[in-house]
Amino acid sequence: MTRREKESWEEMALGGIGALSPVLHATREVQIPLLAALLIGGCAAKAKRAAGARSFDAALSPSMMFPLRMHRPITIGLFASELALGTGLLVTAGRFGAGVPATAVRSATALLFATAVGALHELRNRRPEAGCGCFGDLSDTPVSWRALGRSVLLCAAAIGCVGVLPLRMPTSTGQAILLLVTATVELGVLAALSPEVSEVMVRLGYSEPCEVRRLPMSRTLSALRCSSHWRHYRKYVTAMEPSDMWREACWRYVVFPGIVAERPVEVVFAVYLQPRRPPIRAAIIDATSGEAPARVVPAQRSAPALLPAPVFTAAPTQHRSQHSAGL
Amino acid sequence: MQSHGGQVRRKVEFRQGCDDFVETVTPTRFTRRTLLRATVLGQRDTAHESLWDPRRADRSVVTGQVADVSPHLIIMQTAHGEERLALTPATVAWRGGLVPPATLRRGDVVIIRKNRARQTAERVWAQISRVTGTIIEADGSALLVDEGPAKGRRIVLIDEGSHRQIQVRFPRLQPDYLIDVIGLRQQGYLQALAPATAQPPYRADHPPAPPLISGHIPDPVSGTAVWHDPGEEPSGLVGLAYPALDPETNCEQSPAPPDKHAVDPHTAGPGCVRLPYLSVGSAVRVHNECSDRSAVLPVTSCGAASRLFCDRCVECGTSPRGRIADLTMTAFVELGGNLERGCFNATLTFSG
Repeated sequence: MTRREKESWEEMALGGIGALSPVLHATREVQIPLLAALLIGGCAAKAKRAAGARSFDAALSPSMMFPLRMHRPITIGLFASELALGTGLLVTAGRFGAGVPATAVRSATALLFATAVGALHELRNRRPEAGCGCFGDLSDTPVSWRALGRSVLLCAAAIGCVGVLPLRMPTSTGQAILLLVTATVELGVLAALSPEVSEVMVRLGYSEPCEVRRLPMSRTLSALRCSSHWRHYRKYVTAMEPSDMWREACWRYVVFPGIVAERPVEVVFAVYLQPRRPPIRAAIIDATSGEAPARVVPAQRSAPALLPAPVFTAAPTQHRSQHSAGL
Repeated sequence: MQSHGGQVRRKVEFRQGCDDFVETVTPTRFTRRTLLRATVLGQRDTAHESLWDPRRADRSVVTGQVADVSPHLIIMQTAHGEERLALTPATVAWRGGLVPPATLRRGDVVIIRKNRARQTAERVWAQISRVTGTIIEADGSALLVDEGPAKGRRIVLIDEGSHRQIQVRFPRLQPDYLIDVIGLRQQGYLQALAPATAQPPYRADHPPAPPLISGHIPDPVSGTAVWHDPGEEPSGLVGLAYPALDPETNCEQSPAPPDKHAVDPHTAGPGCVRLPYLSVGSAVRVHNECSDRSAVLPVTSCGAASRLFCDRCVECGTSPRGRIADLTMTAFVELGGNLERGCFNATLTFSG
């Protein structure tokens, strides 16, 4: 390479670095408030979980790797560290505390996240089914490479913010936009590495399955009494009070005593467990023979359309050796 | 009576009593539920009566009291009369540990898994019992344990030789924490000999929440199947105490303010595994993953105490967390479980 070509390459490299310099600077500045928010938020989530369970053991899964007598001091120590460092990052972000205090806080933060990387790696090996508990109840999924990657990223971010000059308000629109874009990109990367985000989405869009939906018996009886099935089968019923009522998964069953052709029968209704206009099925069964009486005309199945019965299987599960006890 | 739009309607009410197979005077209403459900849903049901029959010819478990025992024969008094079973060199007997069958004592309450074809005893458990619940009081090796509103309290004395073994698995032998131990039934107390599981790290009144499930509850569900002491249940009852009975049945509500350390499992949440709400009389297929045996069993009582535990069974591999069935002793043994092991990996299918 000639001298002229070499000088040309050096000019291009310096120019590139010069172009990246504001981006790097903005990235380093953004870490301070982000790390502070994560530390304080994590501390609050763990404290909420511990308060709810009235137990320090519930707050922090990695503490279970240590002897029982150390659970409490470790958990308290972590609470105090997260709160102190998160608050310290905010307090020393500006001119107040600039210099040695700011460097000390940011270095301690980097050390905390480095310790977290090691602890999560150890937890993943020794207790693979345990969650990290990083954000309380949201962090119950087992520690994965995503969670480890997030800790490594945060450790790198903490190291990167050591030596950053005191933060100040952006002096131009371009600088403000650069900070905003940088923060957004980093939040996006953190979200991609965080299993807690999917947990939050599930909780926001959650709708309880019908198998565990709670509905008072009185609502079921009211819906039944307003139905066409009740009007059709009412003439066979001999008592207004059900002789039996029970629930299985998404259906509640109501049984009334009745008479058909001078023979005692049971009029049974199945009411789906939904609050409004539940599908209903009905049948009459001889109280002694267990068969359907011949003189009963079944009700017409009209709208609303009946939902299919719950998907229950009666066949045994398939295994290498089909050995059913046949009880 | 209600008035609505000028019409007078008689308000339909239902006496909301607790479904309890043991205490009800009309148990036949439970036995008919599977038939009625199958009829109204348009399905065939041929097993509804046989589910509840304790004298079915294909049962391989016998319960009773030892009337006499010799090296080659054991004679028991059962609820249906005397039963004699031959003892062979392959017969395994447990009475606090593995013992020669001839050392069993007259009057011992036994449960025997027999070889149906040869009418011999395969395994014999004598005086075996279990306590599962919340520690209310602790005084060294003596514990008072609350087993829930239905079962009440029991005294547990930890055997000196087993103290270390139990304390390793249950490091917090103090009030507000759970315990589950197996041992010898003695007069008025349980002599604890072995831990049935590992102690959960949380307090008894704060079990972990179950995962959120959208859509429908998965079917089948896998987890841990355990067994419980019969208490006042009929001898030889084959069924399970189900952890998720319909809360509208108001089962086992504590009538009086409980002890400050006692936990009503109905107020502790659904536990760590989501199960569909069922009722006494519902039929459930239980599959023992370890012995590869399965059976359709009726729900016979409320097993809400199982919700407090989020443990796994490691009898054959590691099961998912959570107790999905609390079987009667007879059902547990019929499905191939060994009582001294405490659990087996199980799968529940909600058969229709």
